Amino acid sequence: MIYSWKKIVKTGLPLLTLTILIEIIAGQILQGKQESLLLFPIFLISIPVVNSVSGNIGSVLGARLASGLHVGYITLSLKDKEMHDNFFISLLIGFITYFLLAIIIYFIAVFGNLLTEDITLMNFIIIFLLTGVLLISIVALVSVITAFLSYKRGLDPDDMVSPIVTTIADVMGILFLFFIIGIFGVGI
Amino acid sequence: MYAKEMVKQSLPLIIFCGLGAIIAGSTLGLMKDLFLEIPGLIVVIPAIIAMRGNISTAFGSRLGSAYHLGIIDADNLWNEELKQNIIGSLFLSFFVAFIIGILAYITSILPPINVYPNPLKLISIVLISGILSGIILSFLTILIIYLVFKRGYDPDNITGPALATFGDIITMLSIFGSAILVEVLM
Repeated sequence: MIYSWKKIVKTGLPLLTLTILIEIIAGQILQGKQESLLLFPIFLISIPVVNSVSGNIGSVLGARLASGLHVGYITLSLKDKEMHDNFFISLLIGFITYFLLAIIIYFIAVFGNLLTEDITLMNFIIIFLLTGVLLISIVALVSVITAFLSYKRGLDPDDMVSPIVTTIADVMGILFLFFIIGIFGVGI
Repeated sequence: MYAKEMVKQSLPLIIFCGLGAIIAGSTLGLMKDLFLEIPGLIVVIPAIIAMRGNISTAFGSRLGSAYHLGIIDADNLWNEELKQNIIGSLFLSFFVAFIIGILAYITSILPPINVYPNPLKLISIVLISGILSGIILSFLTILIIYLVFKRGYDPDNITGPALATFGDIITMLSIFGSAILVEVLM
């Protein structure tokens, strides 16, 4: 038998505990903004979407870089052309996805009677898209750095990138969303 | 044409996962009255979702490796290796959920936050939703793996995104359900 439940708990617990510590900080930021979020439920709906899209794209990017490094068609250089292509295509995929999802979220909020204050479709698309593009840029950068550094140190990037990237996307996503909303002065 | 091929391959799946996140987000929107009634509830949400995502994608990728190693297949699925994996995932969910509840309570009562949740309520909600979503997702993982085996696909390509998407929705619904249950009972 190669699996035992004790070993699964022992290997999983340390990284999970660290992840949870950071996620609790994200949760406390939400609690601090709770009153405003309840006035603007459309942003409450947006939070898991903003975070998970960047988390997913960052994980895919990391997996692609890991395969490239393992097989050898990507080199450990910041000038690597293949890495640049992967990076910019991730940003493009992020841009298209965030744009489409912004429209869908807006109409869900309209039909669900969740638009308690006046936010126009254009307003919402700009806020959502700016948050998303800012987040995916940072997350893609973190993904490249994590993949390269872990490979350089002899660790498997496949194990490292996904948990690091999704945790960072969760915290930064919430911070960026409130930052962009603050710039546009919607009232949060 | 390399770029076009990459966009074509991953964009549909990324958008599909985004639609799943919209369902999770809408559940969050439905819970807004509960956040007022249960202080501290909103704090645990990112942590429970992250815990579930980490535990179940690791579970899925271990089953993928087990398949490649020839330890499990469609005809020999429910064996001791699988049982150890399920027990391990559930114990991990229990421990981590407990840590989430304690951390959320402690960080809330300390300055500068100064919010005073009911610790018993908060920890009960985290434990019930953590275990409940763990059980549902374990069986969902086995079902997905079984279907993937039957069709002869590589589980590595499918379980990750599928579990991430269903995981978020099931976890949000579990938190919603446990919060209502605890609010009614306690």
